[in-house]
Amino acid sequence: MGVLKINGKEKTFLDNKMPVTLMDLLTILGVDSATVVAELDGQIVERANFTTTPLRDGQSIELVRFVPGG
Amino acid sequence: MASFAEKLKCSVVGIAGLGGLGSNVAIALARAGVGKLIIADFDNVEQSNLNRQQYFTDQIGKPKVDCMIDNLQRINSRIDVAGHKVTLAPDNIPQIFRDADVIAECFDTAQAKQMIVETVLTKMSGVKIVSVSGLAGYGKSNEIKTKRVSPRLVLVGDGLTAIDNCKILTAARVGIAAMHQANAVIELLIDEIQP
Repeated sequence: MGVLKINGKEKTFLDNKMPVTLMDLLTILGVDSATVVAELDGQIVERANFTTTPLRDGQSIELVRFVPGG
Repeated sequence: MASFAEKLKCSVVGIAGLGGLGSNVAIALARAGVGKLIIADFDNVEQSNLNRQQYFTDQIGKPKVDCMIDNLQRINSRIDVAGHKVTLAPDNIPQIFRDADVIAECFDTAQAKQMIVETVLTKMSGVKIVSVSGLAGYGKSNEIKTKRVSPRLVLVGDGLTAIDNCKILTAARVGIAAMHQANAVIELLIDEIQP
């Protein structure tokens, strides 16, 4: 089992469902990676590195999602 | 200790995009007395912009950057405005906005919003950005919020209402978001930027 804090809320994943990378998490959440800015434990992660950024139990993730209009 | 007016006069704000958000933010900051604006947009004024953007019928077909410089100088003849008719991208944003204390993200597509926020946070240390997500539609004024996401990022909007699912942008609701954005920029300049 693993726990990630996503935008301030804790989300629990069973062992075999724990996302391996930040991109895996976005896929699970159904979020288009092209419209998200992500911070992992307070550090910004560039979109180009989403697929190579591993996630660990207990980490805190802030996802800022953008919708069009301006 | 510098006064409110002195601090704003010494401040430099970048405005990325001059549509419904950017044209309103630029005018609010010029009226407030911000000393220098760096404005950038690749587009020309179109008839369809006039339902919410701060241009005039005799400006249709002209570059938004040129029109906004004219409009700002009619409001505040002492303001210093640097205009860039350009498509903003990760390779030119740090250069164009290098003197900015705060940048207002005023784009329309979600991908462009993502691009500039990521660029500013990763390549422009010390610069703060105020971004907007979720301002389409009408009514629901109080669902538009200003939220401090992290030390250098402020996010305005309802987070939900996209132009592609509701098809409506109004001067009123875009204007509410733009004034949240301008007000957040002023708050950062006064409370957090050292003159």
